[in-house]
Amino acid sequence: MKHAILGVAFAAALAVPAFAQDYTIMAPANPGGGWDGTARAMQEVLQAEGIAPSVEVVNVPGAGGTVGLAQFVADSGGDPTKLIVGGYVMVGAILTNGSPVTLKDVTPIARLTGDTQAIVVPAASDIQTLADLVEKLKADPGAVSWAGGSAGGTDHITVGLLAKAAGVDPTKINYIAFSGGGEAMAAILGNQVTAGVSSVGEFAEQVKAGTMRLLAVSSAERLPGIDAPTIKESGFDVVLENWRMVAAAPGLTPEQVAKISADMETLNGSAGWTKMLADKGWTNTYLAGDAFAAQLDADIAATETVLRDIGLVK
Amino acid sequence: MSQGFSPERRPRGAAFIIAAGLAGLAVLLLLDAAGLKQDGGYAGVGPGDVPRIIAYGLLVLAVLTALSGWKGNLPKPPRQAPAPVLWILGGLVGQLVLLHVVGFVISGALLFGMTARGFGQRPLWKAVAVGLVLGFVIYGVFDQLLKLNLPAGPLERLIFRG
Amino acid sequence: MDSFSLLMQGLASAMDPMILLYALIGVTLGTAVGVLPGIGPALTVALLLPVTYGLDPAGSLIMFAGIYYGGMYGGSTTSILLNTPGESASIVTAIEGNQMARQGRGGPALATAAIGSFVAGLIATLLLAFLAPQVVKLALTLGPREYFALMVLAFVTVSATFGDSALRGLTSLFIGLALACVGIDGLTGAARLTYGVPQLMDGIETTTLAVALFAIGEALAVAAMLTPPDGMHRVTGSVRMTATDWRRSWKAWLRGTFIGFPIGSMPAGGADVASFLSYAAERKLTKHPEEFGKGAIEGVAGPEAANNAAAAGTLVPLLTLGLPTTATAAIMLAGFQQFGLQPGPLLFVMNAELVWTLIASLLIANLMLVVLNLPLIGLWIRLLSIPRPWLYGGILLFATLGTIGVNPSPVELGMLILFGLMGYGMRLYGYPIAPVVVGLILGPMAEQQLRRALAIAQGDWTTLVATPVSATLLGISAVFLIVPMLMRLRGRGQVLSQVAGDAD
Repeated sequence: MKHAILGVAFAAALAVPAFAQDYTIMAPANPGGGWDGTARAMQEVLQAEGIAPSVEVVNVPGAGGTVGLAQFVADSGGDPTKLIVGGYVMVGAILTNGSPVTLKDVTPIARLTGDTQAIVVPAASDIQTLADLVEKLKADPGAVSWAGGSAGGTDHITVGLLAKAAGVDPTKINYIAFSGGGEAMAAILGNQVTAGVSSVGEFAEQVKAGTMRLLAVSSAERLPGIDAPTIKESGFDVVLENWRMVAAAPGLTPEQVAKISADMETLNGSAGWTKMLADKGWTNTYLAGDAFAAQLDADIAATETVLRDIGLVK
Repeated sequence: MSQGFSPERRPRGAAFIIAAGLAGLAVLLLLDAAGLKQDGGYAGVGPGDVPRIIAYGLLVLAVLTALSGWKGNLPKPPRQAPAPVLWILGGLVGQLVLLHVVGFVISGALLFGMTARGFGQRPLWKAVAVGLVLGFVIYGVFDQLLKLNLPAGPLERLIFRG
Repeated sequence: MDSFSLLMQGLASAMDPMILLYALIGVTLGTAVGVLPGIGPALTVALLLPVTYGLDPAGSLIMFAGIYYGGMYGGSTTSILLNTPGESASIVTAIEGNQMARQGRGGPALATAAIGSFVAGLIATLLLAFLAPQVVKLALTLGPREYFALMVLAFVTVSATFGDSALRGLTSLFIGLALACVGIDGLTGAARLTYGVPQLMDGIETTTLAVALFAIGEALAVAAMLTPPDGMHRVTGSVRMTATDWRRSWKAWLRGTFIGFPIGSMPAGGADVASFLSYAAERKLTKHPEEFGKGAIEGVAGPEAANNAAAAGTLVPLLTLGLPTTATAAIMLAGFQQFGLQPGPLLFVMNAELVWTLIASLLIANLMLVVLNLPLIGLWIRLLSIPRPWLYGGILLFATLGTIGVNPSPVELGMLILFGLMGYGMRLYGYPIAPVVVGLILGPMAEQQLRRALAIAQGDWTTLVATPVSATLLGISAVFLIVPMLMRLRGRGQVLSQVAGDAD
């Protein structure tokens, strides 16, 4: 009797409808962060657009996403309803934390959104251009304090890359890591540090209000609507994008992968997703398939080099 | 938070165990700090320095605790009943082990039942049954309604998704 | 007065019956979820935010304001009645509040918490409405060195939570500080005391430690008593506050408000720090020092007012600068974006109408909270008449629910058991619980701000006293630390033997 009930239960749990399938999306971070925001945005649009009848978000915070990633790989193998959100920060965290589980252990589906990095100074600063800032950096690297997010994160990597491109020893940069975006911004606004690094979106409103000066952005081309040169055209060969992606479980059949990819394609094409991105101020940088896989490999290699240069990975 | 026990003025073994525990914690901190990068960068204070200061503080406290134990200055707890503690711990460990196997409702019902049993509720099956009902209500409200993700087992799948 | 008429307009538009209903629903949901141990305001808001989708902006904002204040308030109920703080800002509430509940005065304790939260919320929201731009200017002049000085001050005042022995109090604090070292060092990314366990990389979660030490430790200690203390959970006396209660509470509410609001407004402040400082202030200023640790009503009134005022204070940098300074604020930011609100320095100018609707909503939600909760006090204290097997079974089930809901990993549950046992052991030998959690919260804040300040000054220690604010705060700390020591030296001989020998 007991076995019969269990059997029915398992059958019910494993029965997957042929067309629309439910998803459980893991956000490997606490509520409130970018990955959680991405996962919850996906949840809303997938349900509202009828792509999936029911979508759940699970938060597994810790260690730049590597705790969630490890748990995802361990628990979700072969389950086509499980997705994980991740991003560029995870690439760095896997390296600095020496995580045994890497992005090779999941099935990357698509890059969804991207953020360009921006370098700013307080409005009261006498620094006017990126060249001015780099000149100071060359003269005395310690005297230039940089406010940004966690050590080894995208912001730190941006500064490391810039120092290297400018011919300054990346281990000599005076990078001040702040725990939350708000605290770093307060330090910049309060003129506590020389310069600040974060995503363009974080700074946009401040720049518009004239409380900060935007020196350069990290994209390959200038951004529409943003009046600032790229780092590259300022003379330093740095191009960096902080992307977010969605990946599926390891050990899926090609058909299962195709089904998930198709759903993400539909999500990306939907009006709801376009509106969501506009509301949140995210840039759509959708990239799927082999192109994304190649991009991922290139990013991992480049990140490893720079983290070694900064001295965070031995 | 102390319950106002009257201290007995004679050496107390417990104080030495506490002191040893504090010293052990200090040693852990010192060993770990020794393995960290010693360079504090521009701050001059590196990742190992604050743990080291805390470790020295713990060592001083360990000595003072041992001294005060020697003088008998530690409250003597009243006699404890070990069985209820074991029931509750059993429930907690059971939940830890079973959570991902049988799901939130059953493991939670066991925890509830064993805790109630620890507080003198008998028989155990009745307490577990109450726990099951409570577990279902909680699961229904939090997982189904509020989308707080709670681990599902066969029972949850049968009832809520079958 | 321009702001005033805008606020009135906002209040008038909120007086619609449907809007009031939304406020009531929001407050009820927020309180119900916030009451659970381990589920703080951040998760409460994150969980309930989708409920507000689909309403019009005005209805959605007000429900949201209700959820926020309800979630903040919910934690105090379990603190007081069950010695189980729901989140870090109501830990000190448990110290006096639970003692009051044990004496059958749970009603007045809950009442002073509810009314104090209301008074603080009212004043702080008005301060937010009229002074936010000025307050934020001041807050921005504070940098790492000032925050370090503030943390030092908080540390010095922690002794207020030590109970009857300085040695045991300090030991508890240092255990907390040692636990705080676990995890990735915020400034260099170095992993400390993690032993290769990835779940330890982010350090020990404050809520896990608090729930384990308080809820599980308490359950074990109560269960192990051979003879349960008489009338421990019996409700005696009135559930209302007496005239004396009122007289002793109102000053504490005001002091709590004026400690909480500025600290909440600081980008690196926080409701927990505010509640610690308020508790210490009450203990220093009270005319009834003998009651502290045994159920002094000021010790509930002050911190509860402070944490609510700090919650309103958090909105200052959020609304004026778009800076989310807490996890809760970050989630709120996401919530605002669904109405096309772009928090930033121009928010008050660009979206004046919505901002004032939000502020009016906060005022109404705050009122709704006290309207809902005062009559419920009678019901809440009935909780204590639930037979103990069911009561503690339920407490443990809810305590683990919080942890499982946030992070269902065996490591997290293992820590819950381990620290629960530690909490039991500490109760046995009279070690106070609160300083452990205080150490875990303040330790990393102080360390990181110190190292940031020094890095900016390139290793020059004089930077710590280089501004008037930091020098003053450190000066006050030194006075607090040294004066009692001198007095003890004169009164009772050596400090050290005093510290070692004052177990009784």
